[in-house]
Amino acid sequence: MALRRVLEATSSAELDSVEIEYLGRKGELTQRLRQVGSLPPEMRKEFGQTVNRIKEELVKAIAGRRETLAAAEVSVRLAKEAVDVTLPGRFYQVGRPHVLVETLNRIKQIFIGLGYEIVEMPEVESYKYNFAALNYPEEHPALDEQMSFYITDERLLRTHTTAYQHRVMEKRKPPMRVCTLGKCYRVDAVDATHGHTFHQVDCFTVDHGITMADLKGTLQQFATEMFGKRVEVRFRPDFFPFVEPGAEVAVTCTICGGKGCSVCKGSGWLELAGAGMIHPNVLETAGIDSEEYTGFAFGFGVERMPMLIHGINDLRLFMENDLRFLRQL
Amino acid sequence: MKVPTEWLKDYIELNAPLDELAHKLTMAGLEVEETIKLSRRDFASAGGSGTRDEIVWDVKVTPNRGDWLSITGVARELGPIVGSRLRMPSVDVVETAPPSSEFISINIDDPQLCRRYVGVVIRNVKIKKSPGWLKDRLIAAGMRPINNVVDVTNYVMLELGQPLHAFDLRLLHGAQIIVRRAREGETITTIDGVERELEQDMLVIADADRPVAIAGIMGGADTEISEQTQDILIESANFNSTSIRRTAKRLNMVTESSYRFERQVDPSIAVTAAMRAAQLIYELGGGEIARGAVDVYPTPVEPLTLTVRPHRANAILGTSIASADMAGYLNSLEINTSVENGILKCSVPTFRSDITREIDLIEEIGRVYGYDKLPMTLPRSSMQGKDSPEGAFRDKLRRILMSCGAQEVLTHSLVDGKLAELAGKADIRLVVRNPLSEDLDSMRVMLMPNLLQVLARNQAFGTSSLSIFEIGKIYYRNGDEIGEKLSVAGAMVGSQWKRAWSLPPKALEADFFLCKGVVESLLDGLGIAGARFARTENPLLHPTRAAKIIVGDREIGILGEIAPNVADILDVRGRPCAFEIDFESLMSVTPDVLKYREVPRYPALYRHLAVVVSDGVDYQDVEQTVIDSGRGLIEEVDLLDLYKGEQIPPDRKSLTLSMVFRSPERTLTDEEVNTVLAEVKEALSRNVGASFR
Repeated sequence: MALRRVLEATSSAELDSVEIEYLGRKGELTQRLRQVGSLPPEMRKEFGQTVNRIKEELVKAIAGRRETLAAAEVSVRLAKEAVDVTLPGRFYQVGRPHVLVETLNRIKQIFIGLGYEIVEMPEVESYKYNFAALNYPEEHPALDEQMSFYITDERLLRTHTTAYQHRVMEKRKPPMRVCTLGKCYRVDAVDATHGHTFHQVDCFTVDHGITMADLKGTLQQFATEMFGKRVEVRFRPDFFPFVEPGAEVAVTCTICGGKGCSVCKGSGWLELAGAGMIHPNVLETAGIDSEEYTGFAFGFGVERMPMLIHGINDLRLFMENDLRFLRQL
Repeated sequence: MKVPTEWLKDYIELNAPLDELAHKLTMAGLEVEETIKLSRRDFASAGGSGTRDEIVWDVKVTPNRGDWLSITGVARELGPIVGSRLRMPSVDVVETAPPSSEFISINIDDPQLCRRYVGVVIRNVKIKKSPGWLKDRLIAAGMRPINNVVDVTNYVMLELGQPLHAFDLRLLHGAQIIVRRAREGETITTIDGVERELEQDMLVIADADRPVAIAGIMGGADTEISEQTQDILIESANFNSTSIRRTAKRLNMVTESSYRFERQVDPSIAVTAAMRAAQLIYELGGGEIARGAVDVYPTPVEPLTLTVRPHRANAILGTSIASADMAGYLNSLEINTSVENGILKCSVPTFRSDITREIDLIEEIGRVYGYDKLPMTLPRSSMQGKDSPEGAFRDKLRRILMSCGAQEVLTHSLVDGKLAELAGKADIRLVVRNPLSEDLDSMRVMLMPNLLQVLARNQAFGTSSLSIFEIGKIYYRNGDEIGEKLSVAGAMVGSQWKRAWSLPPKALEADFFLCKGVVESLLDGLGIAGARFARTENPLLHPTRAAKIIVGDREIGILGEIAPNVADILDVRGRPCAFEIDFESLMSVTPDVLKYREVPRYPALYRHLAVVVSDGVDYQDVEQTVIDSGRGLIEEVDLLDLYKGEQIPPDRKSLTLSMVFRSPERTLTDEEVNTVLAEVKEALSRNVGASFR
């Protein structure tokens, strides 16, 4: 009877009252136990044992029931606390890197991995470093591709990061393996693929026994790291006053994989960099023995890479800083 | 340059499909940028015969290869590709008139600027239209047919690369040609009808009285070929490239002729070109060719003799090409080469003015060998790569600022000079002499105005709330010194919540203190302790909400709310705030290594204290007083609340402070803490006139 009431109790309160009714100070079982003394001695033992067994069972049952009821009550309470988990989260706006800075960093890390030391160089340059020390003859048509913004007769905004070469060479001794990155400027009308400001990376190395094959291998290594294993590098002759032999470097079009598409104008190749063996005139101007040492140099524009990787079709987006653009990448 | 492929076939056999040849030419360094198909209609509408169509290559000639600026020059480059040699046009003239020298005298006053001048006279020429084949070739090459004589001069220029000019001989005063520099005040009306003022260092072709051509650039209208012309003088000269370039730039003229002279014309070809023109004019317009040209060539240019060490060539290219093969490659480019004692002995023809030393020939060997066959290796020695200290520090700053919720931006260094004026730094700005436009005439003096422009632009695009930062160069002038340095700046406006539904909307609204919080987080993230902030003035900032940031005794930057007039001018809505810190200063106050301090072992006790002080008292002084009077037992003081209102006098404010008491040596008792707190209160009363609530 008592056991059934315990099992049927539907709340902790009901269970409490059952417990008092049987096990309380005036409870039925408690009173029964008190009767033991008035029984004949031969019956006491058996009676006592029976009552105690019942009591133990009841205590156990109550404890079990209490646990069950408590769990049920917690779950009822928690059920009332339900939230709509599809409501949006609350958070402050998270800052993201600029895609071009991130690309520059990625490139930097690849070259650091190839043993290059990154150096910081000025953007306001002298004619000497930007042109003269790089074997540009005065009044040469090669200058037409590098129309410069002038600050004074002698100072201009660097038109290529290559301007750092002589600065480094006159301060250091071979072996040298350095890289610089940053803004360059050319007098160029602004449109979707041109700007007066753009970013370049330039690397060079001077050491015993550097060959054009080393240059080719280095650029293949870079292209693989940057664009993936299937990208091939193609060299073809080109002219830059500061290198000889000079080369234009192209990589397999990352859009079509070399089959030919609108981005690569059907050629399957994308122009990546200008490169070559450092011209002996450049080494000699810097006081480096061009018989003992050889070197290679290469440089390239940065904007193209995120444009290709992310499918960005307008170069102006990079420096317009529309957050609707920046927050996507 | 346009290269009509049918024309090419006059000089070299094209024994493979055009596409394949175009590709090989490109891979040899002469890039075929475009293959153009000209139809009959194209020819007809340009005044040609309209009887044929043609494939034309548009090739990109690098500035060092003037010898490629002719059809024969391109044919020569195809030689090694198709495995045959260039056939130069044969020049057989029928000379019937007396020698040219009987009709004209030629003098070079300035042999520095004119190496050679060849003149040939043709008498009794009939000026008329050119025949269809000639017109078609000019049209295919992108030129406009005019009359037989002018067309022939253009044709021979395209064929051989030698610019020519034809004068009406009878109009040359004194039967004289003098190559000299222009005289002061001289002018010339060129054949395009423009009168041009000449400067004294410009080279002209003059007759006895006046300039009749700007040397190597354009002829004069007074002596040009007309329908009345009977006797003509063909000029085939060689001018100094630098001088031509300077003059052309000064006069803002680029002509087919100046373009070629700037890139060097072979002086050896002058007579051949003159006689080739005479021959064609004779064939097309009759007349009598003078017996022999006048050739003024004071110092003939000889082929250069150079040597190439084959082992050196292989060391540069990373190859192992045999000497005999190298000699074969060079010979295929008409560089006469023999192997003597293991060394290549090369005679460089005069049309290859770009080849001046061994390395140039090594490039030629590499070109013919094929860059695509060069092996791929990496430099044998290994070196330790590393970032620059600035680069590494910059990345650290970027990480912290991004974690503070700021979006990285990248803005232009070329800006409107007005921004420097706004920042009160017009005097130190760098001005660009030749700006693209007025609003790009200066280098930025600070990043902050650029960032405000970004805020304004984004507000216009509908992004009303944002926080941004940039790390970049700023530029300055200090007297004659021109400099540039890195700067780090941030700007914010509007609520910094991304989403905060049902929360108080102003809770994270950008203001002075939120901006200051970013700066403090930045300093904290770098491990910089003990930064101070003091009132300051800056033209960009609100006069009473601006602070300078001081670390040690060094002022490293500023922060504050943007002055309302500045926000107005830059079209930023709301109450933008910004900071800008000198990168180098920040780097120099950042500890290289942070040292560990033992984590406290004894429990702390906490107290709150409401301090009422007059409005003029700085919080910093209150905090400092608490620390100083705390017997070294106050570990931390923080502001919980700032109250102004009914419960305190109108000119006072209440600062509720929370304080953490802790001893590194023992557990503090309540009594001890109360004693210290009493002392703190006393000090606050004494030092900052505090009362307590």
